[in-house]
Amino acid sequence: MLAGNNLSKSYSSGKALDKVTINISAGQICGLLGRNGAGKTTLFKILCGLVKPDEGQVIINSKRAKPIGGIIERPGLYNFLNAYDNIKIFAGIQGAPTDKLSIEQTLLKVGLPVDRKDPVRNFSLGMKQRLGIAIALINDPECLVLDEPFSGLDPIGVASLITLIRKLAEEENIAILLSSHMMGEISKCCHFLYVIEKGEIVNAGITNELINRHITSFSITAANLMASSTLKKYTVEMGTNDARVVCTAAKVPSLLSELLQEGIEVTACTPVLTLEQLIKKAI
Amino acid sequence: MRLLLAAEFIKLIKQSKTYYALGAILVIEILILVTAYFQGSTILDLLLDNLKQSFYFEGTLLNGNLIMYIVLNSLWFNVPLILMIVTSGIVTDEYKDGTMQTVMLQAVKKWKFITAKYIIAVLFTVLVIGFMMLTTFILAYSIFGNGDLVVYINTLNFFEADDAFHRICWAFASGAVSMVFYCVVSLTLAIFIKEAAKTWIAAALFLIITTLLLKVDFVLPVLNSFLFPKLIDNWQQMFYYEPDWTQILINNGILLLYTVAFGAAGTYVFHKKDIG
Repeated sequence: MLAGNNLSKSYSSGKALDKVTINISAGQICGLLGRNGAGKTTLFKILCGLVKPDEGQVIINSKRAKPIGGIIERPGLYNFLNAYDNIKIFAGIQGAPTDKLSIEQTLLKVGLPVDRKDPVRNFSLGMKQRLGIAIALINDPECLVLDEPFSGLDPIGVASLITLIRKLAEEENIAILLSSHMMGEISKCCHFLYVIEKGEIVNAGITNELINRHITSFSITAANLMASSTLKKYTVEMGTNDARVVCTAAKVPSLLSELLQEGIEVTACTPVLTLEQLIKKAI
Repeated sequence: MRLLLAAEFIKLIKQSKTYYALGAILVIEILILVTAYFQGSTILDLLLDNLKQSFYFEGTLLNGNLIMYIVLNSLWFNVPLILMIVTSGIVTDEYKDGTMQTVMLQAVKKWKFITAKYIIAVLFTVLVIGFMMLTTFILAYSIFGNGDLVVYINTLNFFEADDAFHRICWAFASGAVSMVFYCVVSLTLAIFIKEAAKTWIAAALFLIITTLLLKVDFVLPVLNSFLFPKLIDNWQQMFYYEPDWTQILINNGILLLYTVAFGAAGTYVFHKKDIG
């Protein structure tokens, strides 16, 4: 549905993108992981048609008036207007319905209150992100790109936004591409991951497979972990409330089983994978 | 286009800076009125002292027409500067707030969007000049009354009250053309520069250079007649004793062509340029 083939872009400061190829299908949530300055925003701007690539092409199989919507870097809103008027302005300029019911439905779709009349400059960042998504969804685009949507949000805001993104993909069959440098957040909602470094895609795969392939340690939370004899067989880094155990994903079930046999009830087992690991392994 | 114009209009009327601009114009007018009220007669007496020894003046020369003429003179620098700052903000604010990107992510054609901005900027400029004319008219005539007008352009020119008012009205109309030119230039500068503060500096520089070039002799008659800095004072031509109406019309027409050229250049660059 949304494809970028061999996209390259150079600025006077250097090469921002180098032959990047990316594909997202309808209803799929794709994550683009990369450090700051890796080329994520440039790629997004090219995919959205804001910036022309030096080489390569963007293909969007859509016959809709607005094939792609999105937020790049931050939600650009008219801060002196309220949420209702923002939707009205952005809907109006493209001939989308601007009646009260349509606008309120758009607001409700992203979980924004319809009764707030104050300017959006008073909104929290999470609410601004939601309004930005609401604006991006005007005119029913088939693809949605969200650049760093979790940036600056608190954990509740992140969780709530992840729920919204999943709902949009599942219920409206929208192809969603989102970028982040936060491994945890992006791995929670994406079906497929691309890792970008210095303008090149250095790693890609189905999220679970990619994580399993590169995972080298797990954070285990339980009482009496210090007393565990099972953990002595592994390389362990003890934390205040958890133990970071170096092992492959395949060994986790047997590890948890052994701990249970020992009488240690594990309350959480989280893979520890950093962006650096994904980049280093690939390079 | 109608929808884009409606959106631009809503943005303009909902922004506080629009009212700051109108407020600034009003402050300039009130300052002129207050100064004229307390010191006008003294200054006029000083200027016309020699003439008064040879001629008899009936009625007071410090009247509504003279005040309107003085306010009209703010079209040299004060008003265009305010207009250029406000109208350039129509574009620079969109870049600053990231709304330019948001708009360009919608199903909107770039050239249509920027053309709507030019049209709204021009309408706003005409509205401001209209507001300036109306408020000055009300304040000046209600405080100072009607009377003959004396102005100094190379020599002292005297106009009867009715003739003076007629000329002032046309001067405001011609001045509006000059202001529209400046506002279109400022919008074009905003498209090129994107940043508000840098655009203000460039706009102020453009205004200063244009005003300076008005007095420069370019040697070539065609440049002296038709280069845009030579056309921005058309409104002043109304206060020659016998104005050349045909030439004023031609000059305003040419200035409008320059305006369209600057607007077209801005639209072309905006259409070609990457956003962000």
